[in-house]
Amino acid sequence: MASFTPNLEPAHDTSLQFKPKKPRITLQTPSSCPSNQRTQIIKRWRTQRDQHIYSSKLFQALRRSRRTSASREVHETADRVLAGLAKGATRWSRAILTARKVTKHKKAKLPTNNRLRKPDIYRERRKTPAVERKLKVLGRLVPGCRKLSFSNLIEETSDYIAALEMQVRAMTAITEFLCGGTGGGPLPPADRLPSNVNS
Amino acid sequence: RRSRSKQSSVSSIADDQITDLVSKLQHLIPELRRRRFDKVSTSKVLQETCNYIRSLHREVEDLSDRLSQLLASTDSDSDQAAIIRSLLMQ
Repeated sequence: MASFTPNLEPAHDTSLQFKPKKPRITLQTPSSCPSNQRTQIIKRWRTQRDQHIYSSKLFQALRRSRRTSASREVHETADRVLAGLAKGATRWSRAILTARKVTKHKKAKLPTNNRLRKPDIYRERRKTPAVERKLKVLGRLVPGCRKLSFSNLIEETSDYIAALEMQVRAMTAITEFLCGGTGGGPLPPADRLPSNVNS
Repeated sequence: RRSRSKQSSVSSIADDQITDLVSKLQHLIPELRRRRFDKVSTSKVLQETCNYIRSLHREVEDLSDRLSQLLASTDSDSDQAAIIRSLLMQ
């Protein structure tokens, strides 16, 4: 990941080797990293354990909050818990956590002085305008990643996608629990339940 | 190869890295995973990535919506909530 972030992760966690000291433009290809490191990265967000942790944390957060009748609150809570699980290792998670309660001011784009930027020779010269455009769109979609270099953006995107998929799986599971009432609770939460609730 | 300008040698290394990263991204996207052995252009991979993220966002929106409705109706029922919580903890 980006070289300026300290390594905030506890050592015991299974899924974390986020290469905190990796320079931005590295001359070694990612495939030269040890393969178990790669597997760990791939496995992150995909284990059942991660999903259970997220589900229970999210459910607790939702129960605690008084205002969960609004869909937006639920969404924000879900995002926050998700970002919290990342433990600050990724930009998007930090961006979500620091963006809370901030109103959406659109920053005016200041004209950048090209002389002061890094020389374009070392990156992105070869990309077509179409690719550039799509990179910008992608940067807007992933929170906090508007001005990232290409490789960092792809890293963030990969992690973000995996996290989002887990979020969908977990929220689906919670929804099914609440609908199905498999614990045999006394009251059906929704009127589309089958009638055999009271055993 | 050293006789070439420094510019092209540096950017060719970066190009490898780029294609590597792009293929890594491609692997993550269900649409494109089947086509792993075909050449998918960078532009297409990025496009599909954006589409996929947007569709995931939409799913989460929908799920949030449903959850908010369900939670509103189960709020009064703390027994069931306790049961659910214990189920989720296992």
